[in-house]
Amino acid sequence: MAHLHIQNLQAGYGKKLILDKINLTVEQGEMIALLGPSGCGKTTLLNALCGFVPVSGGEIFAGSRSVSQLPAEKRNITMVFQSYALWPHMTVAQNIGYGLKVQKAKRAEINRRVSELLSIVKLEGLEDEKVTALSGGQRQRVALARALAIRPDVLVLDEPLSNLDAKVRLSVRHEIKALQKQLGFTSLIVTHDQEEALVMADRIAVLNQGKIEQIGTPEEIYHHPSTPFVADFMGAENHIKWPTHDDAFRLNTSNPAAELDLYFRSENAVLATPQAASKDDLNAGLIIHGHVEQSVFFGNNYQISVRCGKHTIQADHDQNLSENTPVTLSVPNNALHAFDKEGKLVAHQKNHAVSVKSMRMNHVC
Amino acid sequence: MCWLLEVNMRQTTSPNLLKHRLWLIVPAALMVGIFFLYPLGFSLYSAITLDDGGFTLSHLNKAFDLYSKDILFTIIIVLVSVAILAVLSITIAALITLSPFRSLTKTLGFLYRLPLFIPFIVTAQMMRTFLAKNGLMNNAFVASGLLTPMDTVSFLGWSGIIITFVWKQLAFSTLLISGAMAALDESQIRAARNLGASRLSILFQIILPQITSTLGVAMVLSIVTMMSVLSVPLMIGTGSPTMMTADMAFRINSYGDYHVANALGLVSYCICAGLAWFYLRQNLKEKGAN
Repeated sequence: MAHLHIQNLQAGYGKKLILDKINLTVEQGEMIALLGPSGCGKTTLLNALCGFVPVSGGEIFAGSRSVSQLPAEKRNITMVFQSYALWPHMTVAQNIGYGLKVQKAKRAEINRRVSELLSIVKLEGLEDEKVTALSGGQRQRVALARALAIRPDVLVLDEPLSNLDAKVRLSVRHEIKALQKQLGFTSLIVTHDQEEALVMADRIAVLNQGKIEQIGTPEEIYHHPSTPFVADFMGAENHIKWPTHDDAFRLNTSNPAAELDLYFRSENAVLATPQAASKDDLNAGLIIHGHVEQSVFFGNNYQISVRCGKHTIQADHDQNLSENTPVTLSVPNNALHAFDKEGKLVAHQKNHAVSVKSMRMNHVC
Repeated sequence: MCWLLEVNMRQTTSPNLLKHRLWLIVPAALMVGIFFLYPLGFSLYSAITLDDGGFTLSHLNKAFDLYSKDILFTIIIVLVSVAILAVLSITIAALITLSPFRSLTKTLGFLYRLPLFIPFIVTAQMMRTFLAKNGLMNNAFVASGLLTPMDTVSFLGWSGIIITFVWKQLAFSTLLISGAMAALDESQIRAARNLGASRLSILFQIILPQITSTLGVAMVLSIVTMMSVLSVPLMIGTGSPTMMTADMAFRINSYGDYHVANALGLVSYCICAGLAWFYLRQNLKEKGAN
């Protein structure tokens, strides 16, 4: 395994440019998740890495080797496909050993490697089964073993869990992560599921319209989104344009006239009814007064939709509330993501993000 | 249509309604019965009976005595044609599926379909003027200085028949095979490529094993078509040996001998059935293995 370095990468289909000046380095043994909505270019990036989409500009290095102009078969970057892409006319062992057979490895060497991989992915005893007889989770493990068999420089995974049902997905997710730690392969995983990215990746790159919006550790991306898009995509679904010109909203800021985009998560909005009025409003960055519009049971809590003028704010609460109950929402300063008109993080948030980042780096050192 | 009928029948509980709906299939059943089953049955009957209706094998004996060379010639011509056909149509379909040159494959994808729309008799006439000693092909060679008029050879005969069959059937079998190749999941091919497989390995190890049943269908259908063509051996063949269809036409036109013509028909039917049985057996074996 080697590190992967992508430099000013441009790629697309025909004349349409999908990826524009992508710069990304995946360290040896690191797993980076490419996270973004459908059509943001994350699968195109994987296809460009593997040589399935021509690169129109920039360079891709696997270790010290430039691979951007090499054909797919010479790149030594293997992919685990969303649809598994196993060959149904071959057995499990034939699927896993195919890459080695192509490299003209000796039969004994192929058998040894196949047994080794079968035990790694916990499929011992299934080598002679047809892949069509396996379950979804088992097929995905065969696909993973097949991609690892030739000891690729980089492993890329294209939404590897999206075809699995919810329960299997959780177990395969942990298995892939555990394998990645055990074998230390350099990998890029594409997903549109935030939770999957947070759990599996060492770092996350959020993509939007063919560009990387932010790259950082899961904690950085989650707690300190650097753009409105990342904030929104990472679950800060409440959005308020400040100033609201509405007395129901109060923002504790030194410059109340500043035009801001405020984002926060429903879990960070502390909801209080008039009976249990909050006394620590002073610590809150944003205070909102409104009325309950709807209350939906979410298992461990209720998600309350609060109507405040033209805004509807989502907040989590441990009790069900009846419609039109007057409530007060307070969002602490550190849970509030504020961006200026240009979409830049406002100063106090930025400083906070930097301080956390530097703390992490010191910790690593 | 069939499943719709089946669903409708399942929903129906009244026998009257069921009887009523059975009438729906009568027109189709009549067409098959009158235009296919009756002539086929009559032909088989005529091949093994005398004029007075008594059973006999004399027509079959006569057919083998007079035309065993032609039967062998027919089998060889058809098998050689189908072998060449398989190689060429797999090559074209593979080029269309695997070639990185998109504009080339688009042109090829358009060109290979043209013979689909040309009838056998027109193809035979075209090939006659193309393959003859003083035909278009030899004239082009002479004009380009590659051959002198003395060196030219006529391709009319067994080679001409094979060329014509292959040319005409190529479109049909390539259409089926490239359709089967296109239906394979693109990521299966990509998976092989990023494990280091060349395009040729992908064709033989990944694609072909998965399309053998379509290849079989294309070849069996092509064999049946070639066995039944009259115009090509008549117009391109040299007369002796010739294909069985020409012999059948000769028995009827020259002697009004329907019995021996039908006996030859029975033989050609058995050859087709034998090949189809061989194909089905192979196919079932593979399915059993799966």
